Amino acid sequence: MSLVAEAFVSQIAAAEPWPENATLYQQLKGEQILLSDNAASLAVQAFLQMCNLPVKVVCRANAEYMSPSGKVPFIHVGNQVVSELGPIVQFVKAKGHSLSDGLDEVQKAEMKAYMELVNNMLLTAELYLQWCDEATVGEITHARYGSPYPWPLNHILAYQKQWEVKRKMKAIGWGNKTLDQVLEDVDQCCQALSQRLGTQPYFFNKQPTELDALVFGHLYTILTTQLTNDELSEKVKNYSNLLAFCRRIEQHYFEDRGKGSSSIRLP
Amino acid sequence: MAAPLELSCWGGGWGLPSVHSESLVVMAYAKFSGAPLKVNVIDNTWRGSRGDVPVLTSEDNIVSQPAKILNFLRKQKYNADYELSAKQGADTLAYIALLEEKLLPAMLHTFWVESDNYFSVTKPWFASRIPFPLSLILPGRMSKGALNRILLTRGEPPLYHLREVEAQIYRDAKECLNLLSNRLGTSQFFFGDTPSTLDAYVFGFLAPLYKVRFPKVQLQEHLKQLSNLCRFCDDILNSYFRLSLGDG
Repeated sequence: MSLVAEAFVSQIAAAEPWPENATLYQQLKGEQILLSDNAASLAVQAFLQMCNLPVKVVCRANAEYMSPSGKVPFIHVGNQVVSELGPIVQFVKAKGHSLSDGLDEVQKAEMKAYMELVNNMLLTAELYLQWCDEATVGEITHARYGSPYPWPLNHILAYQKQWEVKRKMKAIGWGNKTLDQVLEDVDQCCQALSQRLGTQPYFFNKQPTELDALVFGHLYTILTTQLTNDELSEKVKNYSNLLAFCRRIEQHYFEDRGKGSSSIRLP
Repeated sequence: MAAPLELSCWGGGWGLPSVHSESLVVMAYAKFSGAPLKVNVIDNTWRGSRGDVPVLTSEDNIVSQPAKILNFLRKQKYNADYELSAKQGADTLAYIALLEEKLLPAMLHTFWVESDNYFSVTKPWFASRIPFPLSLILPGRMSKGALNRILLTRGEPPLYHLREVEAQIYRDAKECLNLLSNRLGTSQFFFGDTPSTLDAYVFGFLAPLYKVRFPKVQLQEHLKQLSNLCRFCDDILNSYFRLSLGDG
C-alpha cells in the first residue's frame, strides 16, 4: 500500500471500535494448511486473544488468494481486510489496543529485533523443510497443498508454489544449505530465544507482547505437527523454558477461554 | 594459529577500507578480535571468482560468506564476544536478523537498483576492478541479483512490482536506523566498552551508507541525522582503520 493509502486506512480504523463479527481466514485446518501458515495463523490468534479481541476463525480453501498480500492469515474487520501479523498489529494499535505501549524505546527495539529473528530463521527454516526437503515435499506438502483442487490443478499449484519458494531460498542464500545446516540454524535460534526468555513468564516479564504471540505460534506449531521425522520438534524440546512458555500461553489464552488448541494431526 | 590468514575482498574508497558491506564486516571483526589478516584487495588483475567475495583462505581452508568466516575465526580462537553474557549473545543474533531483514533491502536498492546511483557510482567503481570483458557483464549481474532479492523477499506475488515495495523498504530501513540509534544511546559500542560481533555487523552495514557519495541520498540523509550512529562509524574508522586509509 502506498503511504497515503495507509494513512487513510489508519484513520478509518481509528474511527470504529472492534466489531463482534471480526473473522480470521486461513486454509482448511484438517487437510490443507501447512506448517508455516498454521504457525502464522496461530500467532495472530494468540495476539488477538492477548488483546482480548474476539475473532472467529473461518477456514477457506482459497484463503491465500483472498488475502490482499497473498499471505495468510488475514482478518476481516468491519469493511477492512488486513493480512500478516505486522500490519495486523499496526491496525489493532490504530484502534487503540496495544500490548507494547509499556515498553521503553530500547525494549521496543529489542522486541522488533527478536521478531525479525523468528521470521528470518524459524519461518525460513519451516519453509525450507516444507518445500525444499524432498522427503517432506513428496510425502506431505504436495498432497496437502493441492488437496482441495481437482487434478491436474492440484499438481500445478503445488509445483508452482514450490518453484516460488525455491527461488526465494536461492535469493537469500539458503539454496545450498543442507537439512542439517538448517536444523542447526533452528537450534541456534531456539537457544537465543531460550536465553532471552530465561526464567521470566513472558519475554518482557509480566505482560505478553506481540513477540510472545509470534514465538508461541511458531514453537507450538512445530511441537504439535507431525512431519516425516521428529528432528525439528526435538530441537525445540531441548529447551525446557520454551516448552513451559508454550504450555503457559496455551493454558492461559486458549484453554481457559473454552477454545480448543489448534493442533493439527496429519493423516 | 601459525597458518597465515588471507582475506580477498573488494577495496575501499571515500575513506573506507572497503565499500562492500560483507567485506567490511569481516575486516572489522578481524580488527576487533585481533586476528592477523592479510588483506588482498581485488583489482582487475585478480584471478578468481568474484561471486563469493569476501573469501578467507588459510592453509587448506577456503571459507566464504561473512557468517561462516566469523565462525571460522572464532574456532581459531579469535573471539570478539568472549565477554558477552548469554543474553547479549542472543541479542546479537536478533539485531543481525533485524539488519538483514529491514536495512539490507534498502541498502541494496541504494547501491544497485536506483539508476542514478548505480550508473554514476556503483557500476563504474566495480567495473574498474574487474577485467574486461567481465566488467561488462558482472556489475549487471550483481545488480539483477540485488533486485531479485528485494522483490522476492519484499514483493507481493504473483506480480512483483518495484514501485510498490520501494516506499515500504525505505520506511523499514529508516525505522531500523532509528531502532539502532535508540539501542546504542550514548555508549561507545553496543555492549559496553569493547566492540563485538554486532558492532562489526552494524559498522559493515552503516559505514558504506554513511560515506559513499551518491546522487540520490534519502537514506544517507536520514542516517546523518542520527548523530550517535555517525559518531559510532567515525570512532571505529579512526581507532581501528587509521593506518590503512590510503585512498580517500
